Amino acid sequence: MIRLRPEWRRIFEARERDLDARRCFNCGTCTTLCPLGLKVLPREIFRYALLGAEEKLRENREAVYACLLCRLCEVNCPQGVKITEVIRLLRVYLAEEDLEVRP
Amino acid sequence: MKEPRLGVFICHCGGNISDVVDVEKVRQAVEGAPGVKVAQTHMFTCSEAAQQEMIRLIREHDLNGLVIASCSPRLHQETFRQMARRAGLNPYRYVQVNIREQCSWAHPHHPGEATRKAVALVKGGIARALRARSLEPIVIKTRPEAMVIGAGIAGLEAALGLSRMGIKVHLVEKEDRPGGLLRDRGPIFPTDQKGRELVEHLWREIHRDANIRTYFRSHLCGKEGVVGDFRLKICRDGEEKEIRAGAIVVATGARPHTPQPGEWGYGSEGVCTLYEFLLHLAEHPEEKPLFYRGRRVRRLVYVYCVGSREPAGEKARTYCSRYCCTAALYTACLVHSRWPEVTQVHLYRDIRSYGKYEKYYRRALGYGSVFVRYSPQSPPEIHPGGRLRVRVRDLLTAKQEIELEADLVCLVTGLEPVHSPELLEHLKLPVGKEGFFQEVHPKLRPVETMADGVFICGCAQGPRTAEESAASGLAAAAKVGALLLAGEVKREPLVAEVIEERCDGCGECVAACPYGALELSGDRVRVRESLCKGEGACVPVCPQEALQVRGYEHETIKALIDSLAEGLADA
Ligand SMILES: Cc1cc2nc3c(=O)[nH]c(=O)nc-3n(C[C@H](O)[C@H](O)[C@H](O)COP(=O)(O)OP(=O)(O)OC[C@H]3O[C@@H](n4cnc5c(N)ncnc54)[C@H](O)[C@@H]3O)c2cc1C
Ligand code: SF4
Ligand code: SF4
Ligand code: SF4
Ligand code: SF4
Repeated sequence: MIRLRPEWRRIFEARERDLDARRCFNCGTCTTLCPLGLKVLPREIFRYALLGAEEKLRENREAVYACLLCRLCEVNCPQGVKITEVIRLLRVYLAEEDLEVRP
Repeated sequence: MKEPRLGVFICHCGGNISDVVDVEKVRQAVEGAPGVKVAQTHMFTCSEAAQQEMIRLIREHDLNGLVIASCSPRLHQETFRQMARRAGLNPYRYVQVNIREQCSWAHPHHPGEATRKAVALVKGGIARALRARSLEPIVIKTRPEAMVIGAGIAGLEAALGLSRMGIKVHLVEKEDRPGGLLRDRGPIFPTDQKGRELVEHLWREIHRDANIRTYFRSHLCGKEGVVGDFRLKICRDGEEKEIRAGAIVVATGARPHTPQPGEWGYGSEGVCTLYEFLLHLAEHPEEKPLFYRGRRVRRLVYVYCVGSREPAGEKARTYCSRYCCTAALYTACLVHSRWPEVTQVHLYRDIRSYGKYEKYYRRALGYGSVFVRYSPQSPPEIHPGGRLRVRVRDLLTAKQEIELEADLVCLVTGLEPVHSPELLEHLKLPVGKEGFFQEVHPKLRPVETMADGVFICGCAQGPRTAEESAASGLAAAAKVGALLLAGEVKREPLVAEVIEERCDGCGECVAACPYGALELSGDRVRVRESLCKGEGACVPVCPQEALQVRGYEHETIKALIDSLAEGLADA
């Protein structure tokens, strides 16, 4: 069960500008094209981020770091989501948490 | 009677008929038969060339009867009647025999039998044509006056459209104000104009218009007469008033589905329908922060498809209500722009913001609306209480269960039919399986009904947007205009007639007619031709065989049966 906190989406609040993952309409093109073939990358990860499911995001940190940033998905995304930007953002988010540097 | 001179034409229909039926054999079987002057085959009888040839032959041989053996009369009866008229032959002296649907298509593997059947049917057609009479359509004078029932956007547009054509309008509304579903509404898609203002705008025009009379708190309570000249009754506070009108437009709309208390958490605090929420927003457009009935709203969850697209079952609303995806997305955009701090989550099945309305979906995504797709097998559970909890299985993350808290759950409910028993009773309007009034054909005759002179439009026909409701209101007005401004309506003369010397005035038939077309006058029965639909319920009832339907006279039918029986005996 994914329990969503009242502060949904707060993950990105400070970086609203970059969160174009929310334009994602879940077509799955990216996941099909991704050479890594991980089920959650990148579409499902974005969903967790959008839903504010922080635990799920942490559970899937390996996938977030596994991304090659090759942009194969990005150039094919019909919604023009800047997928690798979002991945970077998620890495920053996870790293901040690891280093306990989040304000 | 003049000596019969028939022309018989048999069609190949490309190969649709002739690949199975030996059309030449059929021709030979009837050539030279008593009364038959010309017998020919044609590749495509309906082609202009073939029609020209038949017209020439009709004139040249002074033919006084015509049999065409081809497709179903549904397809080409009118074509050939018009051809007969062009040739100077009364169209009712033309008989169509169907040897395509009834022979070649029905018996593709039995060409011999199909051919024999075709011969028998054509001989039957000849038997009818030998007895056919010249008839003229029944002409009814129309009055340039119409009744519009329902003053929602569809009815208002229809009334204005009619008035602009110079037709007098009686607008009948059961409530005490116009506007229907849009009456108390704030901004609506796609124009962002307030529903309330749109209604006021139309109402001002109607109010100024001397051609339109409006009757509030009124409903239809009687209908007599015929298309072109109905005598209608409306009731208001127990008082009746008679109104005469040539046609009727039914624009009685639909109503938003309201769940039973407990269903989808409805009835508990913090759960409302989209319609209720929108009425609230219209009343409190600028309120900051957002409240709904005393609840501060930070987290707003929409549940789509409530009361629509239900799994099959008795009384299930299996249809998609069409307006609601777009209306919910539009509402979300409105909330995002006025109250950006509110988080909005959409629990949906499919997003059907079709056509131009796709932009509201994209816009809502852009604003940060979150979409969670649920399956009808595991609909969202809504747990009321001080903190509303919603549980849903998200199809987009492989059906993982998500639990979220909400301040307001907005049920995006569909539209359902309004029940107007008086319209069913007096107008005999056909109702489709969803419970909405049904048009004759969704594309070819989209606002006409099986009831002559009665048109439908707007949500009374089925769920749709205001834009579509208005367009169909204007379409209905155009149809009424075409009907009434012509000054007269022509009807098929194939109606019942009384064989005077046989009728003894027993009156048995009067009750048999479902259209009230028969009346006793003196010691005879009389047919009110404009009411008769020619369906013949009266014919078998008469003990004297004094009633018959034109074109299907006793003698004609007997001759037809004899001829068919003979044809089968030969085979
Ligand atoms: C929540 C919601 C939001 C919507 N949002 C939008 C939007 O943003 N944009 C958009 O384009 N569309 C929207 N729609 C759809 C739009 O409201 C309808 O398409 C439109 O209002 C239908 O108009 P109508 O005239 O057919 O019916 P109605 O508005 O239902 O009017 C019917 C009228 O007939 C009267 N009546 C009913 N029965 C009788 C009777 N027996 N005798 C006499 N009078 C009778 C009723 O009192 C009513 O006044 C929305 C609908 C809903 C429910
Ligand atoms: S390709 Fe783009 S729109 Fe499609 S799922 Fe991936 S991120 Fe979303
Ligand atoms: S950028 Fe990352 S997620 Fe996209 S295709 Fe490459 S490896 Fe996969
Ligand atoms: S328009 Fe959307 S919400 Fe309405 S019934 Fe159809 S799919 Fe469901
Ligand atoms: S044919 Fe039908 S409609 Fe005509 S009088 Fe007889 S019963 Fe009535």
